[in-house]
Amino acid sequence: MRRSSLVVLALLYAAPALAADGSGAPWWIWPIALFVLSLALGAVAVVGGVGGGVLFVPIVGGFFPFHLDFVRGAGLLLALCGALAAGPSLLRNGMASLRLGMPLALVGSTAAIGGALISFALPTETLQVALGGTIVAIAFLMMRHTPAARPGELQPDALAAALGMHGVYRDPASGRDFPWAARRTPTGLAIFAVIGALAGMFGLGAGWANVAALNLLMGMPLKLSVGTSGFVLSVVDTSAAWIYLNRGAVLPLLVAPSIIGVMLGARIGVRVLRNVSAQAVRRLVVILLLVAGLRALLKGLGVWP
Amino acid sequence: MSLVPIEQTVYARWLDRGTRIGLWLLIAAFAAYALGLVPAHVELARLPQVWQLPADRYQALTGAPTGWGWLGLLHKGDYLNLLAVSLLSLTTVVCYLRILPIHLRRGERLIAAMILAQVLVLLAAASGALAGGH
Repeated sequence: MRRSSLVVLALLYAAPALAADGSGAPWWIWPIALFVLSLALGAVAVVGGVGGGVLFVPIVGGFFPFHLDFVRGAGLLLALCGALAAGPSLLRNGMASLRLGMPLALVGSTAAIGGALISFALPTETLQVALGGTIVAIAFLMMRHTPAARPGELQPDALAAALGMHGVYRDPASGRDFPWAARRTPTGLAIFAVIGALAGMFGLGAGWANVAALNLLMGMPLKLSVGTSGFVLSVVDTSAAWIYLNRGAVLPLLVAPSIIGVMLGARIGVRVLRNVSAQAVRRLVVILLLVAGLRALLKGLGVWP
Repeated sequence: MSLVPIEQTVYARWLDRGTRIGLWLLIAAFAAYALGLVPAHVELARLPQVWQLPADRYQALTGAPTGWGWLGLLHKGDYLNLLAVSLLSLTTVVCYLRILPIHLRRGERLIAAMILAQVLVLLAAASGALAGGH
């Protein structure tokens, strides 16, 4: 794992020079490169427990020749398609809850529109620096976040009770029923507004933060948090995606190969990486996030253009 | 006995349909576009000269339309791809509208109001009115 991490880092270090030289390369090199990268990211993301978008935007934004506007648009759609594709089975199996997710999605999607609109008003360099800072912060959060497997309080708070944010979740693995009820709902809604704004601003998707907010803050069982996070993400990213579409920040040559690559990669990841230590892959994800985040920071500051 | 509420099963069924149609259309549209089976508004060979520009400058240089203007260019490969993306982005609205009558029949007014608010937010984003022009 350590050797493969070094190879990845070396390739990432060399990529900006390749991208700069690539202006004379035929156009078809780039969608193929995107497909291959997305395939790898899809596999790593599944085992690392993150969505593809959070890795895609800083890596492609930092090491490929496309403008950040188009990369953010592609990242958003990539996260959206992943969530849409996984949604039906998660909802059918009860691994996601509409009742729990709908209020959070409403707040998050409204904020995502605001985040997307703000992002188009900012200079690219400022956005690069903000993206870099956010990605580095996510890497540190991932290092510290230890999921809580057990649910919290079983009595919903007043707002959760009014919104019907409680129920019973049946774990498909054990067949056991777990009653759940949302707590700290007002704070949860505020956190989801912030996450939505960041998702809209940087095109990151939001799985990295949704799960932690649902599980640690609102006291939801871990598996229900993961499933419901996907549902919330599908609504939040939809609202931001429309802003990107209307602003012309969706370039099909980036979008289609990336989406196809990540979705195939996720399938391969589930099969091939079954025997790989999830902790080691998570460490690789953190390293990739740190490198890509620092690259975005330095690119935005003009230190490593 | 299943613990999954009926509205969740209905939502999942419509989400499944919408996503399948959208993703297959995206793959077909991209194949037609990348293989040159359908002419592109911005030639593929020209893209490396303009894809490093911000979206607004890209539009100004290539004459790409803003908002929903791309609907008039569906005979072009690049905008055929946007049709697939739009279908995927509309799926959530359709799913929400599909479960609204279920909650109304049950008299769950607060949840119905929340669904309506969500649909309005998504339609406002889709309308292009919020995104502004250039």
